[in-house]
Amino acid sequence: MSFVSARVLITLALIALFPACWALAEPEGFFYKEANLIAGYSSKDRWVDKNGMMNSSVGLEWYRKFSGEYGDFLTADLQVRASYDSKKNSTESWGLEIHNAWLEYKFSQYLKIRGGHFDPSFGLEPVVDTHSTLLQTLAEQDIGFNKDWGAQLRGAFPHFDYEASLQLGSGMSVRRRDDSYLATFRIGTPQGRNWQAGLSLLSGRVLQTEGMRTVPKNHLLSEDTITQERVGLDGQYLFGPALFKGEVAYGRNDSADVLGYLTELDYTVPSIQNLELQLQYKSWISDLSNTSTNDGWLTFGAAYKLSQSTTLRAAFEHDFGMMDKKTEDRFVVQFYFLGA
Amino acid sequence: MRKIPVIALLILGLFAQAAYAAVGCSLTDPDRDVKRIFPASTGYKTTFVTIKEKGGEPLKKEIEEKFQDKFEPVYESVDVPYAFYTVLKGKDAVGYIHGVNQKGKFGGMQLIVAIELSGKIVDFYYQKMSSPEAGRFMDKKFTSQFKGLTLDGLMKGKFSISDPSVKSSEDFRATIRGLKKNLLLIDALLLFKK
Repeated sequence: MSFVSARVLITLALIALFPACWALAEPEGFFYKEANLIAGYSSKDRWVDKNGMMNSSVGLEWYRKFSGEYGDFLTADLQVRASYDSKKNSTESWGLEIHNAWLEYKFSQYLKIRGGHFDPSFGLEPVVDTHSTLLQTLAEQDIGFNKDWGAQLRGAFPHFDYEASLQLGSGMSVRRRDDSYLATFRIGTPQGRNWQAGLSLLSGRVLQTEGMRTVPKNHLLSEDTITQERVGLDGQYLFGPALFKGEVAYGRNDSADVLGYLTELDYTVPSIQNLELQLQYKSWISDLSNTSTNDGWLTFGAAYKLSQSTTLRAAFEHDFGMMDKKTEDRFVVQFYFLGA
Repeated sequence: MRKIPVIALLILGLFAQAAYAAVGCSLTDPDRDVKRIFPASTGYKTTFVTIKEKGGEPLKKEIEEKFQDKFEPVYESVDVPYAFYTVLKGKDAVGYIHGVNQKGKFGGMQLIVAIELSGKIVDFYYQKMSSPEAGRFMDKKFTSQFKGLTLDGLMKGKFSISDPSVKSSEDFRATIRGLKKNLLLIDALLLFKK
């Protein structure tokens, strides 16, 4: 697909979808538009319009419950973004990112089956909404992506939740090479409590890719998969205005032992409750037998809610650059809108 | 950078229309909560409703008059979609569950209320509680005291429930405010009571 046709198609599709929000905004669901503008400065890349894997974008979310006389039985969610990366050349700067794109059928509270594009069942990512946030979980370093295509079983028992996923191991784009797959399982305490914890397992042959595009496909770094095995623990604790988050993952990438962890403190300012301050430290060691493979990121963030639909965020990140011996400081601001 | 204007145009188009907001407070796990509160239920139906859709500013003023308070402009605006759960036994409704966000002393709290068809509270709990004394508020000894209360009883102060906290009376008052708001919204947006 040429640059012009891809850009024109994505633009026209989004413009055409905006007026449809009224038609689709039924009582059983909602149709939201999204704008995500990022700008900042990096000591390594100078002026930037992205944060990590997140580009400036416009998009939409369509969420709907389907019900019959006996109640809800099907849920659908679609999150799509048209993103722009000014650092890429003209053929690669625009892309369509499909984030959530799933259908879930409910057999009972104990068993639901989901198909499409969604979070692997590992670590904090499935229980924390990071779709719009500057601070992300460990998923990008740990697995290489935070969503993948496949199927999932999940359910809720009185004292625990479980989910098990089998996915392609390809991340944003639909592709399969070298018998790739990703199998994940998480069991955790029920969500919606002030204290939550989870235990996760992962096994897979995972493709390494670069970029968040689904269409055109993102860049495949190698035709060969990396064999991954992991065990992970995650937890969250809300105490007054402070929310503590943490996760740790240990396992193997091919023959190398790997270890990663994340600690985060989110603090809602009691006197200005629209304002949340965040402090996060992430570490990833891609080979425990080689200390030069350690890397770490320290991030200070702030989020200010202007309205129910609009949030301003800012973050300063220091990349200790222990792996490539090059540190990086990055400051980004974000304007985020999600509303119908 | 020359392509930035294309994104700018898209965003202008996006803001040219009225904006609704992200969902106010939905149940984190409705399947578990519905079954726990209404063990005989066989299902539930979810609906998302805004004050804007059901009457806009005039309806908001009507609710505020009954509320004897003003809605907060950021978290209680007319475009907040409220998620209502109609609990079913077979095809018949046996109750309703609804949650609201409420500003507390230290941060937001999420107050979930379940009522039977008569309007009596059958269960109340905090889905989220930002307070160092959260344990005292979330304790069943406190929350169970609201069982049997109705909107009328709450509004007329026909209850004698004490503040469970030592230093967070603001959160007790916020809880009462949130409960009144919750039941008023069920009446106005789901049951269409005048």
